[in-house]
Amino acid sequence: MKDSISGQTSLRRRGWTRREWHYFWLGLIFASPWIIGFLIFTVYPFFSSLYFSLTEYDLFNAPRWVGMDNYKAIMKDHNFYKSISNTLFMAFISVPITLFSSLLIAMLLNFKVKGINYYRTIFYLPAVIPSVASALLWTWMLNPDFGLVNIFLRWAGLPDPAWLLDPQFTKPSLILMGLWGSGAGALIFLAALQGVPQTYYEAAQVDGANWWHRFWKITVPALSPIILFQLIMGLIGAFQIFTESYILAGGKSNGGSLGGPGQSLLFYAVNLYQEAFMNLKMGYASALAWILFIIVMLITLLVLKTSKRWVYYGGE
Amino acid sequence: MMRKGSLWGLIFILLLAILSGCSGKDTPSSGKESGETKGGDSPKEPVELSFWYGWTGPEGEALEKLIKKWNDANPDIKVKGLSQSDYQKQLTAITGGNPPDVASNFGKDVVPWGERGAMMPLDDYIKKDNVDLGDFVPAALSSSQSQGKTYAIPIAMHVSMLFYNKDMLEKAGLNGPPETMGQLKEYIAKLSVKENGGKLQQLGLWPGVDAFTFSYSYGGSFYDADKKQVTPDHAGVKAAIEFGKGIWDQFGSKELDRFASGLGQYMSPQNPFFTGKYAMTIDGEWLPTFIKQFAPNLKYGIAPIPYDDNNPNLKNPGNVTTSVFYIPKGVKHPDESWKFLKWITEPEQMAEFTAAIGNLPTRTSLQTHEIYKDVPGFKEFLQYSSSPNLRSFPATTFSSEYMTEFSTQYNAILRGEVSVDEGLKRVKDKIQPLVK
Repeated sequence: MKDSISGQTSLRRRGWTRREWHYFWLGLIFASPWIIGFLIFTVYPFFSSLYFSLTEYDLFNAPRWVGMDNYKAIMKDHNFYKSISNTLFMAFISVPITLFSSLLIAMLLNFKVKGINYYRTIFYLPAVIPSVASALLWTWMLNPDFGLVNIFLRWAGLPDPAWLLDPQFTKPSLILMGLWGSGAGALIFLAALQGVPQTYYEAAQVDGANWWHRFWKITVPALSPIILFQLIMGLIGAFQIFTESYILAGGKSNGGSLGGPGQSLLFYAVNLYQEAFMNLKMGYASALAWILFIIVMLITLLVLKTSKRWVYYGGE
Repeated sequence: MMRKGSLWGLIFILLLAILSGCSGKDTPSSGKESGETKGGDSPKEPVELSFWYGWTGPEGEALEKLIKKWNDANPDIKVKGLSQSDYQKQLTAITGGNPPDVASNFGKDVVPWGERGAMMPLDDYIKKDNVDLGDFVPAALSSSQSQGKTYAIPIAMHVSMLFYNKDMLEKAGLNGPPETMGQLKEYIAKLSVKENGGKLQQLGLWPGVDAFTFSYSYGGSFYDADKKQVTPDHAGVKAAIEFGKGIWDQFGSKELDRFASGLGQYMSPQNPFFTGKYAMTIDGEWLPTFIKQFAPNLKYGIAPIPYDDNNPNLKNPGNVTTSVFYIPKGVKHPDESWKFLKWITEPEQMAEFTAAIGNLPTRTSLQTHEIYKDVPGFKEFLQYSSSPNLRSFPATTFSSEYMTEFSTQYNAILRGEVSVDEGLKRVKDKIQPLVK
């Protein structure tokens, strides 16, 4: 052992051998499809969008340098603020709700009852349906007049809102749709739940811990890395929400502008799309994209930073 | 060393594969070209033009019929039609340097795209071939023109009129359609019915309907070209918005949303005007064709758009929109593209196409053409399309953005999120900086 270690260090001093160089190049070649793709489709667009964000660019004429003008204009744009507040609403209200419901479903699906595999399949099914199809499906479900949701609410004697038409209820509608698809997150939680050693629960039970104690002191800490992962993915997803709004609130009903009744579904990505592809303001849209990038990065960093306090990794 | 050599060989092959993959698209066509010039007798090879149009279904078929007619008569220029209703794809194709040779679009996009260089100016061709632009309805042609350049030829135009349900008006004791905006307001009040504890059952006219059309009813204007000022706060525009707002507030957002949610699909027998949920509606020249198809028993009338009570000279106002054909920038055979474009907008072809799809022709010489005799509602619409008070939204580079923002703020005003003045100020603040 000792010999090989000292041998390696002396090798490093001398530089790589031919063999090591060989493996280096071979490795590069095998990785090259990804490297080339990464350079062309990620690094290049990344930096060119930074450049475009400082120009006025309409796709046809050469970009014209305008410095920080786009960013200054964004700061004065009421659509920008509207889209930010709509998006933050989804990030801070929809994401925790969906997360909690996924966890709840996962725990239910973790019970050893007869036919549990069928239940698991049923709960996962909505995740298989493309988002466009599910959005269209929900426009029917949420139709205030003949939709299933309101038929049920009326039957139960509850108020039946005009869901997708009333600006106050459009975002809750989306949350409802999101809950329907929380089986996908539940599947990940379920896998993690099954990795929690039963011995913990048995030991706790012997000590007289009740259901709540076991959930709060064993399940949640054991799942905390997964919760963190789902939280970050959920937040990033919330900041990019587009399809549902585009399908539910698209075009014609609103005189050609996206964003739904009272712009209540004007999310950040929808506003960006509108500026880029309908108004042909690529520079302005690039600036919007960069602001989004910075916001998402800051929030992710913040979550990661605070996570040290509540995430437990096995072995620590 | 052998190993290293084989490694570089591998890299070389990889690069070759990538390069050939990129150029693969061109190889077959260039091969074909050289092959045919070698063996064929005719020195001129037929040019193939791709033609992207936005119509689908039976409307697309009507266009394909014309394309076939062209191909039969012109073996040297073969046109291939492609139904492509997503106009966004044209932008991608043009910027990618591989545009269709001729394409259709909405009139409102012509100047924004044209001035930015996505459409080829047609003036030289128009001059050379003596195309009589004077034959076109001015409001329709103006949407294709900017700063002395013509970027597209309008093939069809659309204008709205007031449709009214004769039975419902009779039941409410009203004689004939409303003529002025003041009368329209009274009609809406009389024709709207609430039942079951204030629930709206029937509406005179949907209040959010069309702020552009009503702006012209009040003599409104959206842009002052001389002063280079956008004028969403123009008195006429403001009057139209206040009109809509006044009706909206009679019922309130909550009740209107509830009512709207129970309304059926536009293109179906459940269209609210067909089922008597709306007593009146503002709609285009295609509606009579739909009525014939979906609600043949409906007793309806077509009337001019009401005008400002204080300005009788604004009689027969309206908002014109168009569908156009244009030649994208960077096409390979501009001369052939123009030949086809010119042919398809000639009176004969325009008549055939617009009559088939129930759209209005843009040429004044066609307004008395007998081909429209059997198109339902066209007697009224053709006559109306020559009204001097028709306007179209000012064609500028920022017009589509302007219309979007205007509609957005109009919606916010109706819902009481902003005041009329504040909403219009927002439009102005956002759009005015785009004026160059």
